[in-house]
Amino acid sequence: MRKTNSDQLHGTLDMLVLKTLQNGRLHGYAIAIRLEQLSNEVLKVEEGSLYPALYRMEARGWLSSEWGMTETARRARFYELTRQGRAQLKAETESWTRLTAAVQSVLGS
Amino acid sequence: MRVLRHALARCRALVRRDVVAGEIRDEMQFHLQMRTEEYERQGLRADDARRAAARRFGNLALMQDRGYDVRGGGIMETVLQDVRYGVRLLLKHRAFSLVAILTLAMGIGVSTALFSVIDAALLRPLPYPHPEELVDVLVRETSNGKSSRYAPSMDDIRAWRGSGRIFTHVGAGRVTGFLPRVVEAGQAERLVVGEVSEDFLEIYGVKPLLGRGIQIEDVREGAPLVALLGHSYWQSRFGGTPHAIGRVIRIAGVPATIVGVLPAGFYRETAVWQPTQIPASRTNKRGSGTPVEARLRPGVTLAQAERELTDITMRTAPGPGEARDVRVELTSMYDNETSGSGKTVTPLACAVGLILLIACVNVAGLLLARGAIREPELAIRASIGAGRGRLVRQLLTESLVMSSAGGLVGLILAWTSLDALVAIIPMSLPSNSPATLNLPVLGFAAILSVVSSVVVGLVPALRISRARMGTQLAIAGRRHGSALSRRGGQLLIAAEVALAVVLLAGAGLMVRSFARLTRVDVGFDPSAVLTLEVEPLDPAPTVLEQYYPALVSAVRRLPELAAAGAVDYLPLRDGSLVTFVKGAGQTNLHMRQVLPGYFEAMGLPVKRGRLPTESDRTGAEHVVLINEEAARLFFPDGSPVGRFLQTMGELPRRIIGVVGNVRHSGPRSAPRPEAYVLYGQAAPHPLRIVLRPRPSALLSGDRLRQMAQAVGPKVLVGRIRSGTDDLGERVVTPRRRTLLLSLLGGLGMLLTLVGIFSMTAYAVARRTQEIGIRMAFGAGPADVVLTMVRDAAWPAFLGLSVGMAGALYATRVIASFLFETTSHDPATFAAVAVLMGAAALVAAWVPARRAARVDPVVALRAE
Repeated sequence: MRKTNSDQLHGTLDMLVLKTLQNGRLHGYAIAIRLEQLSNEVLKVEEGSLYPALYRMEARGWLSSEWGMTETARRARFYELTRQGRAQLKAETESWTRLTAAVQSVLGS
Repeated sequence: MRVLRHALARCRALVRRDVVAGEIRDEMQFHLQMRTEEYERQGLRADDARRAAARRFGNLALMQDRGYDVRGGGIMETVLQDVRYGVRLLLKHRAFSLVAILTLAMGIGVSTALFSVIDAALLRPLPYPHPEELVDVLVRETSNGKSSRYAPSMDDIRAWRGSGRIFTHVGAGRVTGFLPRVVEAGQAERLVVGEVSEDFLEIYGVKPLLGRGIQIEDVREGAPLVALLGHSYWQSRFGGTPHAIGRVIRIAGVPATIVGVLPAGFYRETAVWQPTQIPASRTNKRGSGTPVEARLRPGVTLAQAERELTDITMRTAPGPGEARDVRVELTSMYDNETSGSGKTVTPLACAVGLILLIACVNVAGLLLARGAIREPELAIRASIGAGRGRLVRQLLTESLVMSSAGGLVGLILAWTSLDALVAIIPMSLPSNSPATLNLPVLGFAAILSVVSSVVVGLVPALRISRARMGTQLAIAGRRHGSALSRRGGQLLIAAEVALAVVLLAGAGLMVRSFARLTRVDVGFDPSAVLTLEVEPLDPAPTVLEQYYPALVSAVRRLPELAAAGAVDYLPLRDGSLVTFVKGAGQTNLHMRQVLPGYFEAMGLPVKRGRLPTESDRTGAEHVVLINEEAARLFFPDGSPVGRFLQTMGELPRRIIGVVGNVRHSGPRSAPRPEAYVLYGQAAPHPLRIVLRPRPSALLSGDRLRQMAQAVGPKVLVGRIRSGTDDLGERVVTPRRRTLLLSLLGGLGMLLTLVGIFSMTAYAVARRTQEIGIRMAFGAGPADVVLTMVRDAAWPAFLGLSVGMAGALYATRVIASFLFETTSHDPATFAAVAVLMGAAALVAAWVPARRAARVDPVVALRAE
């Protein structure tokens, strides 16, 4: 049971993170800010758990990362979608849309 | 690509754990810093801002850990941890580790050493390119319904080579290993000489290191004699100088010019190679005795080649006679080279396999015993979150660490014992494929280590990690032997004893058979006889005919000698010259040339007639003596003395006496019909001097050598040997086989005893409390010792009976090596049972005595 739940949570967080990176590379903090804006602070997770998620996605090959400089000239680790990551985002978005449409039609009827 | 990058990242984490952890820390710190600044911009005080950022971030340490789980060394890192832990355990329990590692090392060591022999003899006996193309060639002639196989003639060889369709190379060659030649290059030595036709070295792809090979011109009759040097002879005698080319050496008295040097590794014992010069009149003669070998063209099958070669032979050189049917027969050189080895290797491989099994069972028992002690530790590990798989992995890693150490020590053992093993292995190894610890052998040792780690580790690991951790934890800290591990240990003792009994039965049978073999009467007393090898450098018949009689009559005057004589083919040492008796069919007659005095010197009894004298030898009439076997076969009706014996191509000789039989080729071979002609009454051979010293007389070897030199012609004096040496060499293969199997049997028994000893010792240590309770309730020291011994004794006797049954079956693999001993010899089996049973009891009793020293008060207070 627990495992399924956490998988769902991972899946959702993964999809949102991929989404934030759709328009280019960002560092961890910027991803956190973007997540806040995207979800209107509905999604209240501990910000720290973003990082294990990032590492996991990098290990799966969805993201690549490198150290770089921010506009304020600080050293930060930047993440970027790989081609595989883009494909993953597309696949997850589609399945999410299908699921919500199905739920919608059940609720709407 | 991605997998690779990921694996690289993992490896980086393994090597630079701090770097990866640092990156994670830096990244999270950057996040906290940014968030703090954000809060400060919103108006919070600096420390409030920091607290708020930390709250929002969550548990920093946990996040770092979870991050490291993904980016760190992962499974490799826990394996490394387990390896480190395993090494620490080994170092902590020194006695345990020493026994376990040495036991495994024995098993892996002997297996590896034997495998390197198998590798040399069976896996790559022909270390040449494409060994599968190499064949031995024979010609079968059938006439009048009788068929015989002969070595092909030079004409056959050249016809086949000329056609060019079947063979890429074909030639004749042999190495005179058993009959060395006198070679003079500055100093005279008896050396192994190779005699080859043209195109022979090419079969093996051997190209001269210097100079040229043997060409067809060199083989022609009357061509100037040339020689090629073997690599090691070139190094030792010529210092490896290229100026050796063009020098002249003498081979059996004939000068030959050195034209080339062969590379190292090809027949390393052969010092000199020379062309076989065949007279033009004999190039069509088959059956010269020189084997013919060839390399097939790629893709040509044996059957196809035989067919085509037979066609060619029938067309070009069907051979002498008319109504003959000629067939060419090819056999794969690989099959020929390995045919005998399997029979010898099988029992050895079985024995070595049993040793390895015993070693594994032994160590498994040790691990099981120790595992019982470690149960509390493992229970604690399980209770703080280690799953069963994780525990099994940890235990297997530990046993892998142990068996790797065992494998390494085993390799050292194999490396140091390989020469000794090769020296006593009861088989001849291929000339050009020495047994070495090469890469496949190292791989074999590595595989053995891994396999044995699983064998020794898996059962204890599964058993110990069994999910009874809740109850185990409750009694953590107490040292209980569970019934489970006790039964397991007893089963292992039974298994070990059974395996050792099989080994011992085999060894016992070999020992008994060997004792019977050496008690066989060979027809004379070898220990009473000395022999001297001496040979004139000039082997001309006139030189020989004068030299040996002169030497023997000089030697005979020595007061230390009771008798002296000489013979061309010495019993127990040399081969035989075989001929046929005219009109007596195909029965072989073995011919010897002797000087009078030979029979007295050997101590051969005269059964009928008389022994020869010097006047018989110089007399006009040709006389002969025969042995009892020849008398029985050729003169079944009455005494042969005074009658005539005529052999093929010779004049009849008058029989003057019948002497006792000799087992010429050793105790295993039956006496053959023999005839002794007197030296000088046939084309003379080089002789061996046979001496019979008086009892307790001291004979000076130097004196003998001086006398041999003093007679006249330049001679090469060899060693003085006793008949016992010769007998020893005749039975060398059975002796080696017996020695090797006895060593392995002893090793197996030793390992088993170590196993029983250590398992009983552990059982005593583990059951201290129980023993204490028993003693508190009135059991005497003898009772508790008996209890402990009984626990080892009944599995030992179970193992004994199972082992006996197994041995009845298993000793069949050595049945063909046994001499006048059946493979289920009751006396041997009884002796093995008594020996093993008694030794097992002692091995259990020694550590069990410790139980008697248990102080019940101390034992119970230990709670």
